[in-house]
Amino acid sequence: MDLTLDILQDAITNLAKKARKDSIKRRQRRNLSVPAAKWIAPAMIKGRQGYALSVVLATVGCSHAISEAGGCTMCSYLLDGTEEHPTHEQLIQQFEVALGKLEEKPVPYSVKIYTSGSFLDTREVSIIARKAILEKIGRDERIEEVVLESRPEYVSDSLMHEVKSILGDRKIEIGIGLESTNDQVRSLCINKGFTLDKFQEALEICKTHGIGIRAYVLVKPPFLTERDALLDSVSTIIKAAEMGITTASINPVNVQSYTLVERLWRSRDYRPPWLWTVVEILKQARKEVNHTIPILCDPVAAGKSRGTHNCGICDSSIIQAIRSFSLSQDLDVFDDLSCGCRNLWEHVLTHEDISLVSHL
Amino acid sequence: MTRFLIDKGHDGPIRKGELEVGDSRFVCPLLIGPNTKLPFEVVGRDLASKAVSLKILPSLTNDISLPDGPEPLILPSLPNSSLFGRDAHRTLLDHQLDLLDSKDESFQERAVVRTSFGLTNDTYLEFLSRAKTFGIRSVAFQFDGYLGQNDLNAVDLRISTPLSWLTLALGRVDLSLLPLLVYLGFDLIDISRAEEAASKDLRLWKLSTEEFGEHYDERYCSCPACNGVSLSDLSESERYKVLFKHNSEQYRILLSECIELSNRGLLRWLVESMTHATPNLAGFTRRISSTFYDYLEEFTPTIGSGVIPLIGPESYWSPTVKRFRDYVRIRYTPPSQKKAILLLPCSARKPYSDSRSHKRFRNAIDSALGSAKHEIAETILTSPIALVPRELERAYPAANYDIPVTGKWDAEELEIAANALVDHLSKFDVSVPVLVHASGGYRAIVEQVEDQIDQDIIYTNIVGSPTRRSSLQSLSEKLTELKEGIPLEKGHSTELEDTLRATADFQFGTGAGSLLIPEESKIKGKLYRMVVSKIGKEQTCAFVSENGVLSLTLFGGELLKPLGRYWARFEGEKVRGGALFAVGVKSADPNIRPGDEVIVLNRDDNVVAVGRSEMSGREMCELDYGHAITFRHKVK
Ligand code: SF4
Ligand SMILES: [Zn+2]
Ligand SMILES: [Zn+2]
Repeated sequence: MDLTLDILQDAITNLAKKARKDSIKRRQRRNLSVPAAKWIAPAMIKGRQGYALSVVLATVGCSHAISEAGGCTMCSYLLDGTEEHPTHEQLIQQFEVALGKLEEKPVPYSVKIYTSGSFLDTREVSIIARKAILEKIGRDERIEEVVLESRPEYVSDSLMHEVKSILGDRKIEIGIGLESTNDQVRSLCINKGFTLDKFQEALEICKTHGIGIRAYVLVKPPFLTERDALLDSVSTIIKAAEMGITTASINPVNVQSYTLVERLWRSRDYRPPWLWTVVEILKQARKEVNHTIPILCDPVAAGKSRGTHNCGICDSSIIQAIRSFSLSQDLDVFDDLSCGCRNLWEHVLTHEDISLVSHL
Repeated sequence: MTRFLIDKGHDGPIRKGELEVGDSRFVCPLLIGPNTKLPFEVVGRDLASKAVSLKILPSLTNDISLPDGPEPLILPSLPNSSLFGRDAHRTLLDHQLDLLDSKDESFQERAVVRTSFGLTNDTYLEFLSRAKTFGIRSVAFQFDGYLGQNDLNAVDLRISTPLSWLTLALGRVDLSLLPLLVYLGFDLIDISRAEEAASKDLRLWKLSTEEFGEHYDERYCSCPACNGVSLSDLSESERYKVLFKHNSEQYRILLSECIELSNRGLLRWLVESMTHATPNLAGFTRRISSTFYDYLEEFTPTIGSGVIPLIGPESYWSPTVKRFRDYVRIRYTPPSQKKAILLLPCSARKPYSDSRSHKRFRNAIDSALGSAKHEIAETILTSPIALVPRELERAYPAANYDIPVTGKWDAEELEIAANALVDHLSKFDVSVPVLVHASGGYRAIVEQVEDQIDQDIIYTNIVGSPTRRSSLQSLSEKLTELKEGIPLEKGHSTELEDTLRATADFQFGTGAGSLLIPEESKIKGKLYRMVVSKIGKEQTCAFVSENGVLSLTLFGGELLKPLGRYWARFEGEKVRGGALFAVGVKSADPNIRPGDEVIVLNRDDNVVAVGRSEMSGREMCELDYGHAITFRHKVK
């Protein structure tokens, strides 16, 4: 079986690389002083209604995606990356621009820092820039929650020490794209390039510094049937909760440009997950997982053909329910959902398992 | 224990058989899936059913701790495989073998291998040779229902599969696709589409799909599900149930139509008529008919009775039709005494001789030529079987086909007939003139290839129809001119020996006629009933008018043996019983088709029986079950 897996793994890595080939060339020249993206949304912060800022810093992009490893099968963040390295001044400036968004919004604030890769990867964000950004937060009393996104290999004891000492007793989480607790799914279907052990290691380091882990869980990577995907996400959330994560963030696959997923989708051999699947995952996981761990979901491109979607009629009411669940953690919001397409979804759940034919 | 037994009864690659699962027996071709006798159960995911079911192992299953029992078990693979290259596909197949590695024979017999989108034929063939050491006897193919490259590949792989294996079609099989898959020899067909369509509020019909909406005028249906209810009045969930049942019923109805028609040699006709469902299906069927012609032909019977409707362009290349043209082109040799050729139009009534028009032609010929008539070669022009020498007018399907008569020929049928005519006339000496008594499209065939014909061409003068008095008059006149000009000599009728020899060549290949009916033969009988040929006192063969076939005696079999064709060898000394079973056949002429007259040789190469084949030569060698040859005569 190991040999079998290796060959499949190679095949999928190659496909992922091939799909990505042009995206590196297509990276745009950008203004390196503004972030790639920034948005704010109301959020519950330490039990109070406040605002969350999300910022995606423009960097050279994820090392895993640029490397020979080929990057993940569903991710085109590389495309958001820049051709040249931004200077540390520019990176700091990007962050300041984003922070400006929060002006005049009622406190408290939460800040989530993403890059098109890992904030903690010094190849993307230099030590100087990182320190400066963290210190900026450290000085800002209004910010009570911080999430920093990174692959687990950049989480080290000394770095967590640094983070903790700068941010103090704010609620801190390192956001890691765990995707699945099943090594086979993570490596074969996603080409993620790290093992569960590596994740666990990062988690233990964070724990010793009182830093939490926000695990991103991917719903329906390629090479899984709809039901494989449903079962895998539910067991991932439960297992990750047992391991000690502090937040679970559920991400249904959306079809991004220049990815293997996109090529499959164009060949009518892949469909993003049904919204019913996402609802079912949230329901089953919420019942099993300790209530101190929020289970969040803010699906990208939901209701569109490239994102998680249903029949088109019921999509918006279900998306709304998912969003309000993320705020309230209350399963009752799903009670009244119904639509004729549920029969079709139930058909897909069993018949994809049987036929291995993608049902669009 | 799972076992697949194939029984006699071909109409194209379709085979009738029986699937044994423990104590249960299922007649194949069989519909599988929800609402059928053989539903699915995904191991560890679906509720275990008490009834017999097809077990499915989820993808990425590494270790099988499997339910015991006799049921077929579909091995795991991966979805989204369409972009995979050769190595990955090989791996997906080998992974399935790995799972079987440590298992015993009874387990391996249950295993159903899965192919996946993007798997090429080469990789599949390599896999089959590796799979030989395992007890696998079943394979499942995937259909996405788009009738594009994926579905074409699935058919391609099915065709490469060992003949004795059970074959499954999984995926989206639309109702209109069912006859084609049955025809192609899929034994178990997934009809989950009935459920999918119901969940999309669709009611399936043979040629179209009905979609429910508001204020909709629904169709009338008398099936047990729809009977007496107005679907538009039902709640969504009630309607779903009705539609699901209706849709499943339609598959059942259509399958039974396939089976019944195949018993009468009409399955191909159904497949052709289904092409009217969608242009997509028409294109798919045409591509399959041309790409896989050899496979389709191999299992298409050479005999039949009743009327074979040949309606549109789909029929031009159907195996029965093209094979007839090929046999005439390759196997037919004109009798040596023919000094002139007469081309005539076909008639609706078959055999042509029985028709009113051909009776009139005959009178004209008789009156002009008298007993010199034996030196005239009559050839009938027609579509889509192109041309029929008079001697073969009772052969299958010349005596059976029926076409729409409009007097208009399309470009393709003209070309088919014209090419056949050029080939046919090239078998005659250049000095043999061609008299054409035909008008309209028939005449256009000749005109189209005039410059490729070496012989002199003479047209009779046809006013209106060729059977009009004045036209017949012109025919008589031209024949009389020929008789005097060539000249045509008087002689006794050669009708019987010409027919028997031509039929022998047609059936067994060139040269068979002179072996089986040598000069010294005594031939007696009526062409419209039965003709018997003897040497001395011993019968060699008989021509049976009803199906236009020569049946052999043991002596006839001996005479034919040197030809080296249409034989099957059995490794014993003497045959017993009324039939030879495939398990007893060690080797056979691969040119044997179902319905052929064949000779049975024993291990010492002696003819021990003659009879009719029930399967193709390759099947006789490869299958372990089933009726291979029904004896007509055997050595006592
Ligand atoms: S998902 Fe994360 S780790 Fe994977 S390629 Fe994208 S940015 Fe890199
Ligand atoms: Zn819906
Ligand atoms: Zn009905």
